[in-house]
Amino acid sequence: MELIKELTLQEKLHILADAAKYDVACTSSGVDRKGKEGYLGNSRACGICHSFAADGRCISLLKVLMTNHCVYDCKYCLNRVSNDTVRTAFTPQELCELTIEFYKRNYIEGLFLSSGIQKNPTYTMEKMCEALELLRTTYRFNGYIHVKAVPGAPDELITRAGYLADRMSINLELPTAESMKKLAPNKSFSTILKPMRKVTNTIASHRLAQGKSAYLERSTSNQYLSGSIFSENQRRISGASGVGEEKKDLLTISGREHQKLLNRPFAAAGQSTQMIIGATQETDYHLLKTTQSLYQKFDLKRVFFSAYVPLNEDSALPSLDTKPPLLREHRLYQADWLLRYYGFQADELLSEDKPNFNEQLDPKCDWALRHLERFPIEINTAPYEDILRIPGVGPKSAARIIQARRFGSIDFDHLKKMGVVLKRAHYFITCNGRMMYHIPIEESYITRQLTSVEYKENWELKHQQGYRQMSLFSDFGVQA
Amino acid sequence: MYIYTCEEDFESMMTCIYDVWADRRGSQNVRLELEPVGQQELFSTYIRVLRDDTKAAKVIASIQKKISPEAYRQVYLAAMSDAGDRLDVIYRFLLLGFAYGGAVTKRLADAPVMRLFELSRRTGNDMHYYREFTRFVRIEPGIYVAHIEPACNVAVLAAAHFADRMPSEYWMIVDDKRSLAVVHPKDEEYYVTPLSKEELKKLQTIEKQRDIYTDLWKEFFETIAIKERENPRCQRTHMPLHYRKHVTEFM
Repeated sequence: MELIKELTLQEKLHILADAAKYDVACTSSGVDRKGKEGYLGNSRACGICHSFAADGRCISLLKVLMTNHCVYDCKYCLNRVSNDTVRTAFTPQELCELTIEFYKRNYIEGLFLSSGIQKNPTYTMEKMCEALELLRTTYRFNGYIHVKAVPGAPDELITRAGYLADRMSINLELPTAESMKKLAPNKSFSTILKPMRKVTNTIASHRLAQGKSAYLERSTSNQYLSGSIFSENQRRISGASGVGEEKKDLLTISGREHQKLLNRPFAAAGQSTQMIIGATQETDYHLLKTTQSLYQKFDLKRVFFSAYVPLNEDSALPSLDTKPPLLREHRLYQADWLLRYYGFQADELLSEDKPNFNEQLDPKCDWALRHLERFPIEINTAPYEDILRIPGVGPKSAARIIQARRFGSIDFDHLKKMGVVLKRAHYFITCNGRMMYHIPIEESYITRQLTSVEYKENWELKHQQGYRQMSLFSDFGVQA
Repeated sequence: MYIYTCEEDFESMMTCIYDVWADRRGSQNVRLELEPVGQQELFSTYIRVLRDDTKAAKVIASIQKKISPEAYRQVYLAAMSDAGDRLDVIYRFLLLGFAYGGAVTKRLADAPVMRLFELSRRTGNDMHYYREFTRFVRIEPGIYVAHIEPACNVAVLAAAHFADRMPSEYWMIVDDKRSLAVVHPKDEEYYVTPLSKEELKKLQTIEKQRDIYTDLWKEFFETIAIKERENPRCQRTHMPLHYRKHVTEFM
């Protein structure tokens, strides 16, 4: 297998973007940075999507691999060594020019750089650092950079990458050691968790040094919730307890080296990871518990889920005609939001006895139906955390309700304009003691109503590929 | 009924509010409308207000001081929206604002406050969309030109974002609908200028230009989509068709 050098830039871009597209993290959020004269770029904490591809996923960053050459043989991956595909690599200059020119035309928010393992992790990470350093210094790029840390690369290189990038990620891919052994024989849990821990600690110590809290900023709704997964008594990262006491788990850099890297903060937008779902037997409960502990123990900014798309034929994998479990992925993301914005705990949503989500109902409705004794909730008097638990009410509309009701009583009309989704919410609320319609608060009745409201949406999510609208003209040859 | 009318720029609107206030005819007896006025009412008196920058400055200063900077932000955004009733809404909102002070923006149960909030959110959302979907074309020797046709008047609002982002580039954003251009010279402040018909026509031809990077971008855009997950409806939700008119990858 040798690198092919004669490909045009367009062909290279095609190969290396095609190989990178299964990575889901394409956010440009988490850090606010002003532009500087003489430099190109800034960054906004809310993140900016620049386009939406035909699959409906946002395109925010130029998501490419440094090279698709790989010595590993992970069963699920397109780039595994046993696949016979065209291999190529970007030169650092090519990558920089692409990023800069795309950025100036406002196509992208920055660069997402991942890579196959060329020769060994050290060589690979060195190449990536070289490209990033060129981009930050010579090309004076001040926009967003998301970089993958290659498990097994030496600390110095991960440190360098962290100081050049805004976000770092190390993909867990499989949530148990067992599945990892089966599907990714060259990786192990410890080679992934160890660098992840070090990155977490380094981010925390940097934040402390800047006078911020050790933990990353979270949605403001969490400040008003006592039982959220981000409340003080629930999360623990070792780096926050005392800086310096665990030097060996910290990535350090000399002052001169740091100066060379423009004195940038270490991965200011935090760390993220992703897990494949549907390739192995883990339940939703297991995945959600893992997610929660990653948020609490590693202070990850995001955990992403990727519905497994079969690319390779292998006895250890689902067969090639398996459809990607899109609805399941959707439910997991909904639950992830409930953890991060709504003060839910994984154990409230699922349990050992009920380890998977109900596909017909979103997790919040599902939870509400199992806790009908807490409803209906009176909009004009209920506390914030109760209002946030009503299906159809989000953090923004909840905040608006709390503000507006101090000045006068709120009615269903107002709720609608504030952004509450009444078609879901009205089963669970009263305004001034009255419900919107005269209906029984009864589990089977409301379940039936809610599933019929969402039936069409769910069906379409599940059958995205399998159906299309019939047309008189193309299917039956009717002439206009 | 007395109907006050004025032109669409922000200063004229503020002048109009000043005059309505000064004339003391009572809020039930007046209505504020933007020109051009459509069907005129038979039994109403129409009063045309002309822009006066000192009056406008007074209104702006008192909104900021007597109500709050947040209220001013919302008023400005609402004034940039495309709703026909925006001037009247701003007036009704200010009536409440001067009575209640800064807390007025939180009184969403009051109809004018809610309506103003809706309008300001509309402009704000539109502004964010144009941060995302504005596309520049490079013309030699290194000027980047973008065309937009926003529903709300957001060219200047979006330009603030790009001025921070690309301080050391020459660029301009052309609002084709309003014949306006925001021009940003390298390392200087940006400014707004109206365009003549010929200028606009000339600028519009630039949009069709292609270079290696437009081709590379289209290649990337096609490649990054996962075939197995194709979902045009989701794509349309996030990127409605009318925003795609001047977007490189859809041209």
